[in-house]
Amino acid sequence: MAKNDLQGALDLLVLKTLAQTGSLHGYGIVLHVQRASDDLLRVEEGSLYPALHRMEQDGWIHSEWALTETNRKAKYYRLSPAGRKQLQQAEKSFEQLVKGVRAVLRYA
Amino acid sequence: MSRFRRIANLFSRSKTEREIDAELSAHVEMRIEDNIADGMSPEQARRDAGVRFGNRTVIKEQVAGEDAALVIENIWRDIRLACRQLAQAPGFTITAIVTLALGIGANVATFSVVDAVMLRPLPYDRPDQLIDLVPMNSRFPQDYSRNLSYPDYFDLRTGNHTLAHLVSYHDNSFTMTGVGDPVHVEAEIVAWDLLPALGVQPELGRGFLPEEEKPGTHVVLISHALWNSQFSRDPAIVGRSINLSGQLFTVIGVMPPTFRFPMTAPLNGIWTTLAADKAPGDSSTTRRGMHFLNAVGRLKPGVSMAQAGQDLSTISAHLKQQYPDTNSHIDSARVRTELSALVGDTRTALMVVLGAVALVLLIACGNIANLLLARMRERQREIAMRTALGAGRGRIVRQLLVESLVLSAAGGLAGCCLAFACTPVLLHLIGESIPRAADAGVDVRILAFAIGISSVAGLIFGVVPAVTASKTELVSLLKEGARTEAASRDWLRAALIVAQVAVGLVLTTSAGLLITSFLHLRRADEGFNPDHLLTLLFETPDARYKDTRPDFYRQYFEKVRALPSVQSAAGVMIMPMTSDNADISFEDPEHPTSEAQRPGANVTLITPDYFRTMQIPLLQGRDLSDRDTMTSPQVIVVDQAFAKQFFPGENVLGKKIRPGASNGPGDGPQWREIVGVVGSVRLSATQRELRPEMYLPSAQLSQWCCLHTVIRTSLDPHSLEPDARRLVASMDKEIPVTNVRTMQELMFMELAQPKFAMVLLGVFAALSIALTVVGLYGVMTYSIARRTREIGIRMALGAQRNHVLSKVLREAGVILTAGIGIGVLASLLSTSLLESMLYGTGARNPGVLMLVSAIAAITGLIAAFIPARRAASIDPMQALRAD
Repeated sequence: MAKNDLQGALDLLVLKTLAQTGSLHGYGIVLHVQRASDDLLRVEEGSLYPALHRMEQDGWIHSEWALTETNRKAKYYRLSPAGRKQLQQAEKSFEQLVKGVRAVLRYA
Repeated sequence: MSRFRRIANLFSRSKTEREIDAELSAHVEMRIEDNIADGMSPEQARRDAGVRFGNRTVIKEQVAGEDAALVIENIWRDIRLACRQLAQAPGFTITAIVTLALGIGANVATFSVVDAVMLRPLPYDRPDQLIDLVPMNSRFPQDYSRNLSYPDYFDLRTGNHTLAHLVSYHDNSFTMTGVGDPVHVEAEIVAWDLLPALGVQPELGRGFLPEEEKPGTHVVLISHALWNSQFSRDPAIVGRSINLSGQLFTVIGVMPPTFRFPMTAPLNGIWTTLAADKAPGDSSTTRRGMHFLNAVGRLKPGVSMAQAGQDLSTISAHLKQQYPDTNSHIDSARVRTELSALVGDTRTALMVVLGAVALVLLIACGNIANLLLARMRERQREIAMRTALGAGRGRIVRQLLVESLVLSAAGGLAGCCLAFACTPVLLHLIGESIPRAADAGVDVRILAFAIGISSVAGLIFGVVPAVTASKTELVSLLKEGARTEAASRDWLRAALIVAQVAVGLVLTTSAGLLITSFLHLRRADEGFNPDHLLTLLFETPDARYKDTRPDFYRQYFEKVRALPSVQSAAGVMIMPMTSDNADISFEDPEHPTSEAQRPGANVTLITPDYFRTMQIPLLQGRDLSDRDTMTSPQVIVVDQAFAKQFFPGENVLGKKIRPGASNGPGDGPQWREIVGVVGSVRLSATQRELRPEMYLPSAQLSQWCCLHTVIRTSLDPHSLEPDARRLVASMDKEIPVTNVRTMQELMFMELAQPKFAMVLLGVFAALSIALTVVGLYGVMTYSIARRTREIGIRMALGAQRNHVLSKVLREAGVILTAGIGIGVLASLLSTSLLESMLYGTGARNPGVLMLVSAIAAITGLIAAFIPARRAASIDPMQALRAD
């Protein structure tokens, strides 16, 4: 259960990042999460890739090879319609999780 | 994970791996660049990037694992989903699986026979180099029935440049005595190099040596079975002498249990060299006009079949010039692979049956496709929903195809079980009519065939529904609700049924033709009465009976006639219904010609009373009698066909002819007076035309062996067998009696091949009719259920029930008419393939076509009538309230 939730959290971060930025490579996603979370969240960089490939197989994201600003070939990911739907669901269930956890923590 | 990955990446491992590597390197490189930009030293930057990234090898493995595992997981998910969907519709699923099991099972069973007969290589070394050699007359290029003579064979063997070996063979049989009871052993007389030619080794002892073809050599190889049954696997058998028909032979070896030669004679127990044909007084190895040898050869490495044919034909043409008297009708040689020579005529029958059974499966696929199309309507909402949720068209087609393949896999599995259960029945039906058929069994090829045909079937019946379903118009569907169905789908379903009716009609016509032909064969007049006849065979070895045969047979038949319930009995050398025949030429002083031009006719030797026993009508003159002996005037009886062909419009009685049959060397053919004319007899149940026949008195050709005994009894013929065996044993306890059969059994065996084709095609045709009827019924029921509302409105507006009924029937009528029309055309075009299997009917038989069309029309209308009546009894109120 815990593992699923953590994985779910990583998926949520990736999907949200792609929803906000459009198209991004793995390294870009790492930097974006780090920056957007004010350095609070640091993704273990390597572990991002199995997740990306799994989501691609599930049809949530698509990928293509393109050049970076520094003329390096990198694999860019972007959200699919199914991924957008998945993002909505994931956001909802995450909010519920947070609400639930917070409620438990505040319970006196 | 990595296990899945290895399976899935077998084909694309390197490409996937390179991509992942590139992606991960790009990440690390970018991190290094940023680190350097932040002021780290290159060394530091690299280390930091590595630490942040984690263990690269492990991650690469994980990523690759996700890629591969998910492909498999997706398929697995599709399969599970398919199983769930199928389980939710048990009626549909069971119907589809049973239909498929019948179709695939029939195909697998038939293929297992085709595999055993035509596809399995011969059990010899490098069998593709083995050839069958037949002398030919280039005027009759289809006649493969000719044999070689020894002198021709010797010339071909020594004169050719293309063969490593050329081995002559012909069958024979011996009576083996001195080891327990006397036994009859089938034998083959072969050239010395049979074993090197086939590339086979004996299990014990050695093969023949070249010098063992010299006259006076008596050596044999025995079969494993004979070694087992008669010599209890005595390891000291090699070198032992055994008594074969009164001659001592030395056993030089035992063949392995799997050895068979020729393939058509699985019971052969003895092989000996052609020295056996060089006995003193036997001229068969020196007479160029005596054709009775088969030949198998092995091509030299690198030599093609065509080159060998050319080579041997050149020699044959040469021999024709050199020996015009005997060889004028042999001018070339035909070479085929040994396997195709063995398969011979049965190829047509097998291919027809295999084609027919494939059509059955096609009809079955049509039915299932129709069922699936009907199901698609129920599933339209589900599919629309999934499309709305973002599933692509490809995804939906894949899911539906997986469903079809799951169905066909289940059907294939059930079909294989059915096939393996039915194979014994099939083999029983085939009997001995097809060489090697009895070897049919499971092997890799059959399993591959089963898997292949199941997948193909799944794709055939799955692809049309899957594609049409994926084209479902989302918007119109959601707007109009579940009642819409694309009109094109209706059209498709009708077209499917039309095709099924047409294919079924072709099948049924073929079956009808074979049945007509078989009935013709059964009804045909044999020229004798086959009921209540018992036949048996024993040998009278030359060693003891060379000169006393006539006396022996006379006494023997007197004793047989004295047995209770025996009405008459006689002997005959070449008996009808034994697929045996001999053809000799004769001299006719009224039409003198050169030796090679002389006319020929079938010949057989008989004892007195043969015609009475067989009930062959004596038309003119007299029967042979015991007064026709070696010393009396030489006589002959001919049949009606003979008189008509060679002496049209003349009285043949009293004419003298000289058939080329002599009683041993130095005793040339005799002039014989025709003393009688009898009715013509069919020698074989599948003979197309009657051949002229000459009957010679066995008492005047005492050196010819051996006579079949034919006994006419008033009781069940088999009840006589013990008495007959006892009688033979009382006269000579060293003579084993073999081939005890009733004439009806012999005819039954002769008809086995036409019967097997007829029964199978009949079964397939029945199956196809049943499937088509079920299919048509399904389509009509469905189309009416779908239009309940429409029909209800019509009736509410005053349409008569009869009107509704006839409208529905008319719809079925259109489908049936189209199907039957196409089917009749297709039959006319295709049934000529059956030509060589038909007797007494052409391949285009209007009677059969009409009958079959009528059957198709009537069964079709009955199938349509039930749903039509249901349509006519729709209650308009209920129909309008529904939905």
